[in-house]
Amino acid sequence: MEMIIAGLLDSISPVSLIYVFVGVAVGVLIGAIPGINGPMAIALFIPITYYMTPLTAIGFLVGLNKGAFFGGAVSAVLLRTPGTPEAAATSWDGYPLTQQGKGEKALRMALYSSVAGDFISTVVLIVIAAPLAAIALFMGPSEIFALISLALTVIAGIGTTSIGRGLIAAGFGILIGLIGTEPVTALPRLTFDVYQLGSGLSLIPVAIGLLAFSEILLQLEKFSGKGGGQQCTHEFSNKPEDRFLPLKEFFQSFKTLLRGSAIGIGVGAMPGLGAPVASFMSYDQAMKRSKHKEEFGKGRLEGIAASESANSSVVASSLIPLFVLGIPGNLAAAMLMGAFMIHGMQPGPLLFKENAQLMYGIYGSLLLASLFLLVIGRFGLRFFCKAVNIPAMILYPIVMFTCIMGAYLGRSSMFDVGVMLTFGFIGYFMRKFDYSYVAFLIGFILAPEWERALQQVVIISEHDTFMFFQRPVAMGLMVLCIFVIARTFWNSFKEGRKKRAIAAEQAKNG
Amino acid sequence: MTRIKRDTIAYLLIIGFSLFLLTWAIPLYTPAYPGYGASASLVPNVSVGVMLFMACLALVFIGVSAYTKKPMPVEEREFPEDLSDDGGFTQVGRLNLPHLAKIMIPCVLLVVGIEYIGYELASFAFLMVIQYVIGCRKWVQSLLVAIILTAVLYIVMRYGFGVPVPGPQIFE
Repeated sequence: MEMIIAGLLDSISPVSLIYVFVGVAVGVLIGAIPGINGPMAIALFIPITYYMTPLTAIGFLVGLNKGAFFGGAVSAVLLRTPGTPEAAATSWDGYPLTQQGKGEKALRMALYSSVAGDFISTVVLIVIAAPLAAIALFMGPSEIFALISLALTVIAGIGTTSIGRGLIAAGFGILIGLIGTEPVTALPRLTFDVYQLGSGLSLIPVAIGLLAFSEILLQLEKFSGKGGGQQCTHEFSNKPEDRFLPLKEFFQSFKTLLRGSAIGIGVGAMPGLGAPVASFMSYDQAMKRSKHKEEFGKGRLEGIAASESANSSVVASSLIPLFVLGIPGNLAAAMLMGAFMIHGMQPGPLLFKENAQLMYGIYGSLLLASLFLLVIGRFGLRFFCKAVNIPAMILYPIVMFTCIMGAYLGRSSMFDVGVMLTFGFIGYFMRKFDYSYVAFLIGFILAPEWERALQQVVIISEHDTFMFFQRPVAMGLMVLCIFVIARTFWNSFKEGRKKRAIAAEQAKNG
Repeated sequence: MTRIKRDTIAYLLIIGFSLFLLTWAIPLYTPAYPGYGASASLVPNVSVGVMLFMACLALVFIGVSAYTKKPMPVEEREFPEDLSDDGGFTQVGRLNLPHLAKIMIPCVLLVVGIEYIGYELASFAFLMVIQYVIGCRKWVQSLLVAIILTAVLYIVMRYGFGVPVPGPQIFE
């Protein structure tokens, strides 16, 4: 007990508080820029933490990551150019609200959902990290393969009115995700003799191109249509009901928020899935369970709550396998693992035994980071909204150029800029033809892990066709996967039949 | 061109592309089976197979609708009246290829230009051109935006992140 109190007291020391605060603030600014996300920010600032104490260093870096997740939502809501891939779902309802003059309200919902999801996830991390990690220990390649299959089938229908086009986009995304080095033979695959493709396509330029750049191309069309000299900016309403988010309205989405947090915690604790998967799954579930499905995508606050609570929950829950097993669950956790090792600590089962006071200090810093995110976000809202009032003639070139340079920053490679422009071009066509860029992106992200799990299953089982029957959890997940596919197709078929009947009726009536 | 005609062409292109991948690209550019595990071409073939199957299925539906003279739902036949303003996931609409070219060509020239004339000049030229293309005719404003943005990104990359600035260096 003394250890817990000592650890928590360490976390509220003035130095520690300042670093966590600065970390969150910098993270929010960085996350709003397309091309720079939490893991990148952590990688860039790790050298600065060499001279800090372990507690302040980890607190700063975790604050950075948390701030970046909310920062991605700022540009998603106000400009529809998500700063981070996981904020794409936030833009679906956030941007329509901005178009209606309710951008500040949308940002408030994003902030409060982000903080709530993050706080819930941090509490779960503190309370049940060890039991959850014990379950994760039983997840073998079969379970991971089945889980990713389920994630792919659930997400295929998002972002398009046609499940067929969603599956085409997902298939294309998986294909692109497999470009690079084949995991078993370590030989190049689908690189077309281009050496830069040997390590595959990086997520950042693909995501910037698909999510941000293609959106800019579409938004700039409005200027072409209305005449080049006209400046279009979004006006923010001054009415209190359009600016503020009453508690009553916030709590209307509370169930969605809790569900999103649960999805984020589950997804974050599983290695390999990532925040974008959590965000899209949560959004999909919120839409399916809502009584107002038709309002999603047109400015429904519930959509923002679903996306933000899920993606923010991943931040803390991804630390579960890191702290307890020493296995980083995602890129940000891998960066933090590096930070731990720089400061002489080895994440894993012995971490709590050897550094108990420090670990409780880190937990305290995690909770404080959530609080600071609320404060910074709340006071930064006005500033963010004013930033969008910059004339469009200035704003869009800035955003475009930032996208281009953001794509360059990841690997200091102009090839990545070319990739970004290519996927911006592809993304433009995907949006115009109603092919789900979300399904594409998820397929792209999950393909390497999916194939790796499959290869492991095949090799371990020595080509045993009935290997899944020996793994009940994997078997259950595959059955669920088949059920989801069948249900999605059946619902799509029923809806298509209804629409065709209406069309036939309209044609008959002339 | 109606939406259904455009979609039909798109499905045909997807089918052609899928067949190209299945018959030539994947067999040529995937490693041979090493004798253990799953073949390197398994997952690529499955993903392309899904694309091919769904495109063929969609064409069958369109064909059946045309043959039985049962009209497709209006939202699948025609474009939404309000281009890109329907909000949400889909932004279905007509292509605007001249606009696309006007934006993409300067971007491509920037990428090429950086390698030859350096980041500073190429970025400045790009920002001036793109502002003109978007419709800004205020030269002083354009000049200031181009200079300030180029300088800020230079400082951020070089001194903030310690990342090498792309292309040949003018100020070294």
